[in-house]
Amino acid sequence: MMRAGPSQEEIRRHNLGTLLRYIHLHGPTSRTVLADRLGLNRSTIMALTAELTGAGLVREKLPSETGRAGRPSLVVRPESTRFYVLAFDVGVDRLAAARVGLGGVILDRREAVRERNGFDLDEVVATLAGFARQMLRKADADTVCVGAGAAFCGVVRRGDGLVRFGPNIGQTEVPFGAALTRELDLGMTVSVANDANLGALAEHQRGIGTRCQDLIYLHGDVGIGGGIIVGGRLLGGEGGYGGEVGHMVVNPRGRACGCGSAGCLEAEVGERALLSAAGREMSEDLIGRDAIRAIVDAAERGDVLARDALHRVGDWLGFGVSNLVNIFNPEMVIFGGILREIYLSSAAQVRSRLKTNTMAAAREGLRLRTSDLGDDATLVGAAELAFTEVLTNPLEVLTRAVAAG
Amino acid sequence: MPATPVLELRRLNKSFGPVQVLHDVSFSAEAGEVTALVGDNGAGKSTLVKCIGGIHPIDSGDYLFEGAPVHVNSPRDAAGLGVEIVYQDLALADNLDIVQNMFLGRERKRGLVLDEATMEEMAAKTLTGLSVRTVHSVRQQVSSLSGGQRQTVAIAKAVLWNSKVVVLDEPTAALGVAQTQQVLELVRRLADKGLAVVLISHNLNDVFAVSDRIAALYLGRMAAQVRTSDVTHAQVVELITSGRSGELGLANGDGLNGVKA
Ligand SMILES: Nc1ncnc2c1ncn2[C@@H]1O[C@H](COP(=O)(O)OP(=O)(O)OP(=O)(O)O)[C@@H](O)[C@H]1O
Ligand SMILES: [Mg+2]
Ligand SMILES: [Zn+2]
Repeated sequence: MMRAGPSQEEIRRHNLGTLLRYIHLHGPTSRTVLADRLGLNRSTIMALTAELTGAGLVREKLPSETGRAGRPSLVVRPESTRFYVLAFDVGVDRLAAARVGLGGVILDRREAVRERNGFDLDEVVATLAGFARQMLRKADADTVCVGAGAAFCGVVRRGDGLVRFGPNIGQTEVPFGAALTRELDLGMTVSVANDANLGALAEHQRGIGTRCQDLIYLHGDVGIGGGIIVGGRLLGGEGGYGGEVGHMVVNPRGRACGCGSAGCLEAEVGERALLSAAGREMSEDLIGRDAIRAIVDAAERGDVLARDALHRVGDWLGFGVSNLVNIFNPEMVIFGGILREIYLSSAAQVRSRLKTNTMAAAREGLRLRTSDLGDDATLVGAAELAFTEVLTNPLEVLTRAVAAG
Repeated sequence: MPATPVLELRRLNKSFGPVQVLHDVSFSAEAGEVTALVGDNGAGKSTLVKCIGGIHPIDSGDYLFEGAPVHVNSPRDAAGLGVEIVYQDLALADNLDIVQNMFLGRERKRGLVLDEATMEEMAAKTLTGLSVRTVHSVRQQVSSLSGGQRQTVAIAKAVLWNSKVVVLDEPTAALGVAQTQQVLELVRRLADKGLAVVLISHNLNDVFAVSDRIAALYLGRMAAQVRTSDVTHAQVVELITSGRSGELGLANGDGLNGVKA
């Protein structure tokens, strides 16, 4: 059966979303530039901005200075302080929450250290919801929450935010999305996704990879997470579990991995691998980034164990990145979380592996970069996830949000 | 087709009295790239940089800027082209603040008279544009800054004045690990903004972390200038220590002929 073309109404809704999305990602933009970038004529842009202005989502202003003669084009700006989302991040070592305005401005944020022993869903959800309530209380009365999103350090089911598996928190089948939605009670569902997937999205939309359509983000926490963007879209796979590059086997006779396999990239490159290679035990007071920094520092001062550990880890990281480069031919590979420090201090090993183990054609355009958003990458990604709906269908979501609030 | 390098030196020679320090050295730096300049102690790296910066006159050879031959006889000539050199012993004035340092010697260029507020805003904008988060106030005295922050200010100055080529002579040599990593990221960002960056470093790990190309000097000769993605760590070590590695580098004996003491 032939499908009818999109209706006028569908086209209008699509254009509204596209325009709002552009302003959200690129900031204040003149009507002329919008017309050019979106490929729409000026009268259409005018009608669309009028609608968005009417809804209060954007504001139009004359530019502060005009370079050329003639009538200046009005500049469309996002109403960053009025419309916002709630973003959450559950990492192995930290819990974070933020109120992020349209346009990506972090308006407010809260953070707490998470202890590594065990995982108590009620406690985690209570902490995050508590942060949210504190931030909501501080927000002005005329502001509107248009979405909520969370990043989680585990394998997350698309649709209902069920955490299927969190190897580094020792959990399976945790109904995190449902629990946080219930506890927040905002009349809207909290979207949940894997933290490294969201880090990839964030670096692609707001970080170092904004001009790349094909990139891979590698996130080092206790484990190694990944997000793969192909042709501008995040690779999800059948169930949304794709991109788990940390469990790519690089060393068949390697160390046991939290996932049950052995020699996974994360088993050879993660925090535990580096600490044990450097002859340092996991201690209570020195974990995460501080522990990595201590090893890099020691290596710099000539400690041979630390040096050797970084070499070995860099070598395995090089194997992992080489596989990814041969398979995906990415334009950019981004190292985030503690992988930033590990890459910067073992780049000679990583790149020597790339030279030896990749096809020249697959690596010729490759750029290796560290994350631009740093520790905010996953949280920023969660905010972008939360904005998805309002940027797809601005007016309807807004009506719903105002009714709920 | 390859783009014209922003900076290109062809068959450059430089002697100090009877001592020939640079022998037929060719070198180029392209916009948007970090070109690492490596070589053992005394290989001639700093001398090459001083020739680029107009501190040492060259004996023979061509200096091309954006494809056109130019004469660079003083640091002023180099600055006029948009070539900024950040020497290791940074030429920052300790008793002045960040803003004053970034505008030092440039205050009245092109008849431009800037008020303090505008200068402050421009300095702050430049630092933010480079994602510099470690400097808290642009009104801080330079004497109170850490080594890494001083490098940052020197690099930001180059950006503020729209330089096209920035040469950094061992910018991380005196820094701790955390600061080194920040400066490396800054170096990378600088090139990603479209500048041609030349980075001198003895730390091959730093070189591999951020460079697009590596130029290896061996006893005053350019052993090879290669794409970083086409070489291994071991090959670069060989180029530095013996002037060749497999197919790469100087033909047999060439390196030794360069020594004319
Ligand atoms: N002004 C000078 N007069 C005489 N000889 C000089 C002068 N400057 C440098 N040289 C000599 O030129 C050679 C190259 O020195 P240069 O400083 O360029 O080396 P380099 O590669 O920068 O070394 P390093 O890694 O130690 O900084 C050395 O033998 C040095 O002694
Ligand atoms: Mg030198
Ligand atoms: Zn695994």
